[in-house]
Amino acid sequence: MQDTNREAPPLTPEESWNTIHSTFDRARASLYIAGITSILLFSGAVVAVAFFTHYAIETLAPAFAAERPWYPGLVWGVLGALGMIGNSIIGYRAGKNLSEGATARNAGIRVFAFWMAVISACFLIPAAAGMWNEESGEMIPGVTIGVVALGYILFAIMYRPMLATVGVGIAAAYYLPDYFAGDTALVFQGAATLAVCVLGAMWLRRSSAS
Amino acid sequence: MTDNLIALDETIHQPTRLRIMTMLISQSPSDRLAYSFIQKTLGLTGGNLTIHLRKLESAGYLSTTKEFLDAKPRTWVEATPQGRRAFTDYLSNLVQALSWKPPS
Repeated sequence: MQDTNREAPPLTPEESWNTIHSTFDRARASLYIAGITSILLFSGAVVAVAFFTHYAIETLAPAFAAERPWYPGLVWGVLGALGMIGNSIIGYRAGKNLSEGATARNAGIRVFAFWMAVISACFLIPAAAGMWNEESGEMIPGVTIGVVALGYILFAIMYRPMLATVGVGIAAAYYLPDYFAGDTALVFQGAATLAVCVLGAMWLRRSSAS
Repeated sequence: MTDNLIALDETIHQPTRLRIMTMLISQSPSDRLAYSFIQKTLGLTGGNLTIHLRKLESAGYLSTTKEFLDAKPRTWVEATPQGRRAFTDYLSNLVQALSWKPPS
């Protein structure tokens, strides 16, 4: 923070030019990531609930799970839809608190369109690979997590590079327990994803204030 | 006036005020920015931001509006048409200053 009210020394024309460009980029990027910390916390909670629900059904009601092999799709579909709706509301409200007018509205529409494209890819890529069947259906979550992590990384490259670490963290939180934790992988995946989202949100909040 | 002998608007040509005006101009005309958004994005203290907003407002380059949103007070800041013209002129002069070479 600038604590002094004294006039700063005048800028050279080159410094002015650079200041205009960097401020312009920062102002636009800030609109695109409006509400990102709340969105991360909410997403982490929703994903953790989905993992824990999935694990609870697998361990507490194995007969139910065996008779209805499609139930994970239902759990993830319902919670995923709730997450999308919740995040859209959070982002809309956050944007409205920052700016009023066409620029903020357009930023909100673009962010929504970007994530809708990512979510669509989560369905279309497994479909194109012929994975929507009983044999290879178990591989779909791995593909989905990879696409979502890539979405975070691409979004970060455009608007907030440090957000890319959250994308890498989300991928690691899924793939590492999947490889090492065996039957309890779902619990570790839920806890690790929640931890990544909470740490990412705290880091972003701290960096924004500095 | 700069060393390059091309006049730059002194009201805008100050680091903090240049950043405030750039933030406002980066929005579509008639868009408004929240005071807290400008403060956080530019990393300014409330006192510092208020002083520079007053200078820009007294020059007629921006206007501020106080409103209540969800029962909370909120200050909106908006570039005036005069402020947008002044910034456009500033940019034109800046481009000239950047390309200016001393006569040999």
